[in-house]
Amino acid sequence: MSTFEASKPMVRSDARELRLDPQRVIGTIVLLSWSALFWFLMIGDRTSLYLSSRTEWIVPVGALITTVAGIGRLLTLRSRNRRPVTSRDAFAMSVLIVPIVVVLALPTATLGSFAASRRSTLSGGYVTSVEDIVSGELSLTDVGGALRSSEAMRALADRAGSSVEFVGFVNRDGGTPADEFTLTRFLISCCVADALSVEVRVIGAPPGQFKKDDWVRVEGLLYPLNNEVVVDASEVVGVPRPKEPYLNP
Amino acid sequence: MAQATIDRRPTDSVGWRPIYAALGGLVALGAAFSLADPARIPEVQNLFLVFGSLMIEAVPFVLLGAVVSALIEVYVPASAFEKLALLPRPLQLPAAGLAGMAFPVCECGSVPVARRMADKGLAPSAAITFMLAAPILNPVVIASTVVAYRGRETFWPMVLGRMSLGLVAAVAVGWVMAGRSKEALLRPRPDVDHEHVHPERSKPTAFVSHLTGDFIFMGRFLVLGAFVAGVMQTFVPQSFIGRVADTPVLDLVALMGLAFLLSLCSESDAFVAASFVQFGVGAQLAFLVFGPMVDTKLGFLYRGTFTKGFLRTVVLVVGAVTLAGTLWIEVLIG
Repeated sequence: MSTFEASKPMVRSDARELRLDPQRVIGTIVLLSWSALFWFLMIGDRTSLYLSSRTEWIVPVGALITTVAGIGRLLTLRSRNRRPVTSRDAFAMSVLIVPIVVVLALPTATLGSFAASRRSTLSGGYVTSVEDIVSGELSLTDVGGALRSSEAMRALADRAGSSVEFVGFVNRDGGTPADEFTLTRFLISCCVADALSVEVRVIGAPPGQFKKDDWVRVEGLLYPLNNEVVVDASEVVGVPRPKEPYLNP
Repeated sequence: MAQATIDRRPTDSVGWRPIYAALGGLVALGAAFSLADPARIPEVQNLFLVFGSLMIEAVPFVLLGAVVSALIEVYVPASAFEKLALLPRPLQLPAAGLAGMAFPVCECGSVPVARRMADKGLAPSAAITFMLAAPILNPVVIASTVVAYRGRETFWPMVLGRMSLGLVAAVAVGWVMAGRSKEALLRPRPDVDHEHVHPERSKPTAFVSHLTGDFIFMGRFLVLGAFVAGVMQTFVPQSFIGRVADTPVLDLVALMGLAFLLSLCSESDAFVAASFVQFGVGAQLAFLVFGPMVDTKLGFLYRGTFTKGFLRTVVLVVGAVTLAGTLWIEVLIG
C-alpha cells in the first residue's frame, strides 16, 4: 500500500472538514431575499405604497440588518457539522419568501374603492386641530377632523364657502347621481393595514367623465352639511396617482 | 476503508434537492402571478397589499428581536438572569413587566427575546410577563397613544389606563404561569438543540446562527398570521363590528375581537382606536390592551414558541383582566 493509499481513508473519513452547510444556505437565501426586497423598495421608491412617512425608516433598517446578517451568514456558509435539509426546512424557506414574491408580483397598486367599502371611515382627524381649521389651507384631514369633533365642525362651519383643492380617488355606489361622487383618500399611521378612509362628497362633477378609482383633483367651495362635508366643484381634473398616495399624520 | 464509508455517509447524505425544489416552486409561483395577474381582482389586490405591508413592517422588528435574542444567547452570561431570578417572586413579575419600558419594539420582536430570556435562566413566568408588557409599555407606544388622544377629554384615562391595565394583565398571565417549568412552557426547537450538540467555534458565527435560526423560526408564523389578518381585513367588513357599539359589555368584546382580527402593530393601533368614535372609552381601551397581547399573527407566533394551552391561557387571562378593568373604568368615567 502506497503512502497515498494509506492516508486516503484518513482524508475521506474526515467528516469534520469545512463544507457548505445546506441549512446555512437556506438562512442565507432567506436573509438575502429579504434584503433584496428592502433595497428594491428603497431604490424603486415604493416604500410609500406600504408604509407611512413616520414608519418609512423601517425599510432602510430592515435592509441594513438583513444585508449585514445575510453577508455574515454567507461568510460562514461552511461548517464541519453539516445538517441535512428536509422537505420541511425547504418549505419553511418558501413560506418566508412567498411574501417577497407577492410584493414583487403586485403592480404599484394602492388601496382603492373596494377597501373604502370595508374599512372604518375616519370621521375624525387626530392629526388636525381646531387651530388648523380656523386658519390656513384646509386639507382632507382637517375635513375629517371636523366630522368627528363638534368643536372642529363649528370651526369648519365658520369657513363655509372657502375655496379648497383636494386630491383623491373617485368612489361611488349605484345610487350616486351622475354628477356626484365621493372623493376618498386613505390615511395611514404605520402601514396599509391601519388605513382609515377620509371622504367628502363632491357635487357638480362632469357626469360620466370619471370612473371608480380614478385619481382626480377637485377645486371648489366647501360646505359642511350636518354629518358630511360637501365640495361644490368648479373644476375636476384627472391626475396621476400622487407619489405618496396615502395621507400621513 | 470500512471506517471511511461509515463516516462519509452523513456528510454525503446532506442533499440539496429540497432546496432546488423549493426555489423552483417559488419561481413557478412568481411566473404564475405574472401571467395570471391576480391583483386585478380587487379582493386579491387588497389582500396582497395588507399582507405585504404587514410583513414589510413586521419583519425588521422580528429581526431586531432576533438580534437582541442572539446577543443575549451568545454574549450575556446565564448568571445575569439567574441573579434576576433570585428576586422575590412578588417583585419579579412587576419588575419584568416594567422592564418592557426599555425595549422599544412591538409585539413581534418581544417573543424571541422572551424565549431566549427563559432559555438563559430567567423564570419563564417573568419572561412571559416581559413579553406581554413590552409592546404596551415601551416608550414608542406610549408616545403614539399620547399623540392619538391628545386634546380629548379621555386623554388621561386612555394613556394611563392602557399602561396600567397592560401591566396588570401581563403580570396576571405571569402569575398564572408561575408554577410551570421552562420545559412545560416552551416548545422544543430541533435546530437549537442541534446547535447545543455542536456549538459554533466563534462567537460571531454563533451569533449569526442564532439570529438566522430565530428569524426563520419566528418568520414562518408571522407569515401565516399576517396572511390570516389580511384575509380578515379583506373579507370581514369593519362596519359589522360597529353595530354593537351601543350594547354594554358586547361592545368591549367586539373591539377585543376586532383587535385580534386586525393584528395591528401596537405602535399604530392607538390611531385606529381613536377613530372608533361610536365606541366608548372602555371599548377603545379594551382594543388597546387586548390587541398587543393577543392577535392573529401573535397566535401563530405563540403556537410556534410555546406549548399547547399557552395561547388559551393568555386569551382567557388577558381577556378577563381587560374586560374587568375596562368595565371598571367605564363605570368610573361614565
